[in-house]
Amino acid sequence: MTRDMSRRLAAAVAVALVACAAAGLAAQNAPAQDGPPYAIGVMPPGGAAPRLSDGHPDFSGLWLPNGAGQGVSGRYGVDPAARRQFDPKVTPEAPPSFQPWALAKIKAMTPTELELSKSSVNCQPRGVPAIWLQNPYSTQLVHKPGLLVQLYEVLNNFRVIHTDGRPLPRFPEPLFHGNSATRWDGDTLVVESVGFDERTYVMPNGWFHSDEMKVTERYSRPSLNYLIVEVTVEDPKVLTRPWKSAPRRWTLASGDIYEFYCTNNRELEELQTLREQELKGQK
Amino acid sequence: MKTRLLAVVACGVLLASVPAQAHHSFAAEFDSANCKDFSGTLTKVDWQNPHAYFYMDVKDASGKTESWSFQTYALITLKRAGLERQVFVDNVGKEVWVRGCIAKNGKKNYAAAGTMKFPDGVLRQVGQLQD
Repeated sequence: MTRDMSRRLAAAVAVALVACAAAGLAAQNAPAQDGPPYAIGVMPPGGAAPRLSDGHPDFSGLWLPNGAGQGVSGRYGVDPAARRQFDPKVTPEAPPSFQPWALAKIKAMTPTELELSKSSVNCQPRGVPAIWLQNPYSTQLVHKPGLLVQLYEVLNNFRVIHTDGRPLPRFPEPLFHGNSATRWDGDTLVVESVGFDERTYVMPNGWFHSDEMKVTERYSRPSLNYLIVEVTVEDPKVLTRPWKSAPRRWTLASGDIYEFYCTNNRELEELQTLREQELKGQK
Repeated sequence: MKTRLLAVVACGVLLASVPAQAHHSFAAEFDSANCKDFSGTLTKVDWQNPHAYFYMDVKDASGKTESWSFQTYALITLKRAGLERQVFVDNVGKEVWVRGCIAKNGKKNYAAAGTMKFPDGVLRQVGQLQD
């Protein structure tokens, strides 16, 4: 960078900081109905949620994990409230309470091992419930009486949930998305799942699970533009008590789900090289 | 005027960078203490998931040209931010500017791109900001 560019950038940052501070003050001082001056704001609720022919809410749509109704990563001028899936001040989400052995196992992971364990790095399916907890990409829901199909943009994964009242299998096999049974609680669809492949992580912080994990998802659509997903994880081998997520909001988006086959995964190779260097004590 | 324009963009960067989605940490793979400005000729783009990669011929201080490769966001993240593959294709052979951070494992001429400018001068976020 030339000295002139540096000077200009420094001046710009200084002006920007003042401008940001002024914008913040203006937002605080402005009447609430004016709202902050963001190019991308929080989606309005929209009208009433559509319903299926059987009278239950219809969850069909392309959903994004934010409050904006469009992609927000890599974009400027986005209201911070529109980036969030929930406001921790309003609906706090308690951290999981791990069994001592599980916490020790997680803490023993190096930063590189932690990275290598992440689905976003190793391209293994996120699985349930991670697909609803650690997924920045879109999900297309196709909902019919008796059937909820979930098309996950990330890694082109899909999941078929039968909502026809069939019970859980007697001998569930270990699957990335588990084995599910559903029931309606008013306008909320409750999906209970057991039998999970132990290679998945619940969160990208090393939170692994056991073969005894049971996941309960609660889906609701309070209005046209919003889907709310709440997740409860029970796993007595790993957790000292069940963990419940905040109600996480997804907003209805225009546009299409995109192809996302993970075929050129250089990140994994680079991190594996870094891990080998760490083990040799070079880094 | 330019300063004011830069300020608006910088304000956006500041606002955009605070709540970044950290679904995985570039900081584990790239060195946030070793980020640099690169200017050079865009030569190629690999439009493949999970990240796009683009290549630049970068001249060092001695005038020697070396090819560098840069990792970006996932394709759909670029697209939803309005950055289509065609933007890269249209600018192959042209001068571009990138702020990027070097790989921690010592791989030669490899970095993660954070912000980028094509000849249109618009500052675009093409990867997670690290510094």
